[in-house]
Amino acid sequence: MSENLNMNSAPVNNDADVLLRVENLCQYFKINKAVDDVSFDIKRGEVFGLVGESGCGKTTTGRSIIKLYDITSGNIYFKGRRIAAGVGTYRDAILKARAEMKTADPARKAELQAIIAENRAEIRRAKADHFAKDVRSVTEIQMIFQDPIASLDPRMTVYETIAEGLKIRGEKNKAVIDEKVFKVLERVGLVREHAARYPHEFSGGQRQRIGVARAVVMEPELIIADEPVSALDVSIQAQVINLLNDLRHDLGLTILFIAHDLSVVKYFSDRIGVMYFGKMVELATSDELFAHPLHPYTKALLSAIPLPDPNYEKNRVREKYNPLMAHDYSVDKPSFREVAPGHFVMCNDAEFEQYQALLK
Amino acid sequence: MENKLQVRDLRISFRTSNGKVQAVRGINFDLAKGETIAIVGESGSGKSVTSKAVLGILANNAIVESGEIIYDGKDLLKITEDEFHKIRGDKIAMIFQDPMSSLNPIVKIGRQLTEAMILKGKARQKESRRTFNSFLKRLEKNIIAAKDPSEAAGVKAKCKAFDKFERKHLKLEGKYNVAYDAATEALGEAEELVFELSHDAGRDVNYRVNRIADLSVDSIHEYVVNENAAELKQHVKLLRRSARTADADSSWIVNVFMTIICAIIRNTVSKEARLNALTRTAEILREAVGFEKPDFFAMGYFKTFCKEAMPEGTVAEQNAYMNKALYDGFMNDFLSIVDDGLRYSAEAAYDKKAEAMSVLAEQRRVFEEKPLNKKACMAAYKTMVDAVEAGIDRMEYVKDSRAYTFSSVLKNNIDRYFGGIEKNAAEEKRFAKQTARYEALVQKGKEPEWHVVPKSLIDLEKAQEDLLRAVDNMIAHYEELIARRTGRDYDKEAVAMVDYLKENASGVVNKVTKGIAKERAIKLMKEVGIADARKRYNQYPFEFSGGMRQRIVIAIALAANPDILICDEPTTALDVTIQAQILELIQKLKKDRNLSVIFITHDLGVVANMADRIAVMYAGKIVECGTSEEVFYSPAHPYTWALLSSMPDLDSKEKLEAIPGTPPDMIYPPVGDAFAERNRYAMKIDFEQQPPEFRITDTHWAATWLLHPDAPKVEPPKTVTNRIAKMKARMEAAENV
Repeated sequence: MSENLNMNSAPVNNDADVLLRVENLCQYFKINKAVDDVSFDIKRGEVFGLVGESGCGKTTTGRSIIKLYDITSGNIYFKGRRIAAGVGTYRDAILKARAEMKTADPARKAELQAIIAENRAEIRRAKADHFAKDVRSVTEIQMIFQDPIASLDPRMTVYETIAEGLKIRGEKNKAVIDEKVFKVLERVGLVREHAARYPHEFSGGQRQRIGVARAVVMEPELIIADEPVSALDVSIQAQVINLLNDLRHDLGLTILFIAHDLSVVKYFSDRIGVMYFGKMVELATSDELFAHPLHPYTKALLSAIPLPDPNYEKNRVREKYNPLMAHDYSVDKPSFREVAPGHFVMCNDAEFEQYQALLK
Repeated sequence: MENKLQVRDLRISFRTSNGKVQAVRGINFDLAKGETIAIVGESGSGKSVTSKAVLGILANNAIVESGEIIYDGKDLLKITEDEFHKIRGDKIAMIFQDPMSSLNPIVKIGRQLTEAMILKGKARQKESRRTFNSFLKRLEKNIIAAKDPSEAAGVKAKCKAFDKFERKHLKLEGKYNVAYDAATEALGEAEELVFELSHDAGRDVNYRVNRIADLSVDSIHEYVVNENAAELKQHVKLLRRSARTADADSSWIVNVFMTIICAIIRNTVSKEARLNALTRTAEILREAVGFEKPDFFAMGYFKTFCKEAMPEGTVAEQNAYMNKALYDGFMNDFLSIVDDGLRYSAEAAYDKKAEAMSVLAEQRRVFEEKPLNKKACMAAYKTMVDAVEAGIDRMEYVKDSRAYTFSSVLKNNIDRYFGGIEKNAAEEKRFAKQTARYEALVQKGKEPEWHVVPKSLIDLEKAQEDLLRAVDNMIAHYEELIARRTGRDYDKEAVAMVDYLKENASGVVNKVTKGIAKERAIKLMKEVGIADARKRYNQYPFEFSGGMRQRIVIAIALAANPDILICDEPTTALDVTIQAQILELIQKLKKDRNLSVIFITHDLGVVANMADRIAVMYAGKIVECGTSEEVFYSPAHPYTWALLSSMPDLDSKEKLEAIPGTPPDMIYPPVGDAFAERNRYAMKIDFEQQPPEFRITDTHWAATWLLHPDAPKVEPPKTVTNRIAKMKARMEAAENV
């Protein structure tokens, strides 16, 4: 599982440029492989868009990063430190070695013993990293949720909602909290007076602004925005997108932007990853992805976006993606490869050549 | 084009604890047959309220202030709940935003699909019978009145003959329908069972085999299973015998016994033989279902009055022969007298219409007085309504909506006026009392936690205006009808009338049983693109994904074959790929069934392909209306510009132009243009006066002062002009290719 990924890039765990690094992330729920072997880096100051239809695992990826789930296997590095690690691969290796041990000759047995010991050590290390109490880096990653109604506590005022994180982090000085809360409220386009109100007194767009304020007040390095505009009207959607864009430039935020609508993601992502059924199928810079979509699923996704242009709409042909018909992976298994610099596609050898020819 | 739905000056408010929220403030639109109108706007603009009013499902605290929604000779705002039951779902259906909350989670999909079909099927049967009887009776009366008294007996005989062979027609068609429906159902069941058995699966095989056998026997009919009847009977025999032998599912003891017994009587049927028989049965039935349907109307006449044997030949040839006999022997004659009857009825109605016009013009002055006199008003109301109703041609089966709704419109306005006088007094009293209490508290130095609820008065002036307008509209309407008096083709209308009678007669025998409803539901599920419909029929809603659930909702909406489909944000909860599929599906169904669609959304991209016309709504008013090309390529209202420029698109990366601020508080709607607050181009007049509708072309208008001849010329924002230029370039590029 891990071999085919190492070809992408050398391990750069301590690269100052990379803020978040996701390595071979797998998140299985029983037999359901919600996220299966996904790897990507997010550089400092960039917006990384994650796109796919519902159920493709993009939200699960976001939640795994913020450690809402214990991941099955893989590693997640934040600022060069491992903040989450799964033990699935090591455990599999141990089981495999044990099975082999029953029939192996003595020389091989010693080897296998060594493998088991090594993997055990890995598991210990992974668990130590994963369960380490690390308040700092946890508060440096914040999340904005899709549904502004469900993600705000209806019994807490806006002030309480926003200040909660600060209090948990240990801020006790009321004056400091007040100042921070009022500043962030103004920053997201609300006014001081709103602080004493309850969430139900706000419109949809304003509620989402509260969600943004709650995340921003912690001065995070990384924000995971999980479909922040999907539940909003078009006009409000534009307001929230513009707000996030301003915040990003002013505060130098790094954002992982999760959405199902490519046209929204395009507006402020530097790089976009396309997911399909738990796998990352294409990853490229935003301009490159729109100029040269390679994977058939990306093409299908692009062709499904409705545009406000009747003539174009009447002639639009929607491409359909059927993985069984689009690829023949019976002999040659696909892997995630770099077709052009910075443009990765999930493909096998034949497709790889085909794509490279296309880009020339 | 035939107008299906007319919405006129619709005003709806909601009573809330803070006062009256004016959700819809006077909107007008027409919906033609086969047309899609899209209503676009932000949340809170009143678009959903409009659609709910059409379907009669407004919340309890809603007040319909004024307006009419005319559908099929009825004003949907004024009919009772019982009457609405006949329209809702049957004639007007709705698809809601959230598919999960519009399905019942504990009832299987199949039940939910067939429920409406079975209920509505029975109602339709009754309705057809009533229509047929009443129209024939009225026709006879009119023809007799048109003719000489001496010919009355002849006319009576003709109508009786028509009635008589129509009865025969019913009998024949009824039998045919039973057989045909049985064949369709048996075919469905047999295909399912064959599939299961050939994959070594299948439960309750014996029961189902028996059911197929029963249905197959029912399907033996002259025009369904005829030539193959003997063979089918043999298969049925074999199937019945196989069902008597043991089932593989039952316990081994029974199995052993049955095997022994079967061996003794040497009557076993092997699995292969059973499967073969089933396959062959399915083949026969499939062929039978495909046969052409004979013309039972002509056959009814032929069998009743022609004393000759049926001619040999194909069904088509027989149809032609019988039709010739029908027209030569009866129909030509009959049509000519129907013609006379229709003409007589119409002419009489025209005279009455002219009379009604003069009565209306004369009585109108009663409503002009200030204040109105209740007694005089009621008397005038009675004479007016009587006059107008006398002017209705009862032989028209496409109802004259305005004349039919005249009485209710008038009554409603009168009631509003006189009710208003009483209510306003009470309201003033309450307001004065509450204000006094509030002020008393304030004077004591307290700060009350409650507010004085603002006055909610009924505008008497407006009620009176509406009253006068209703009368004027009626006069204008009758004038228009009388102007068209000479151009009518009664021959054509006579044929249409007979067709209408025929259709209703067939409706009487169109019985929807549980079995047939199931087959239709499965067909419908296939139509909306659900794979493996037969299996899915027995599943619960939670077993479906979001897109599939929305398909089910669409199928349910279509189950009763409605005229008008209202889609209230049907794709907002779905993601892009599924959204594209659902839109394609609605588009296809609309074309196949010639549906009229009201499509409600906040996303202009979604409607670009769907809509024929687009109405942009803001703060309870339509601010711009035009064909989809006009609205997208030459938008005129600043709000439409703002909406267009806040949409993300694929080939530009400039900053989105968000609309600043939020929609106005509709408890205190702005005096001027509601959008002025958020409008970059707002002028002084925008804050003072509401803009009227400025026509740009015949189909395109916008309510903005910018279109006034005296207004300064402004260009739409750059984003919009750029986009339009880009669209045009793309269009030209496409044409060149």
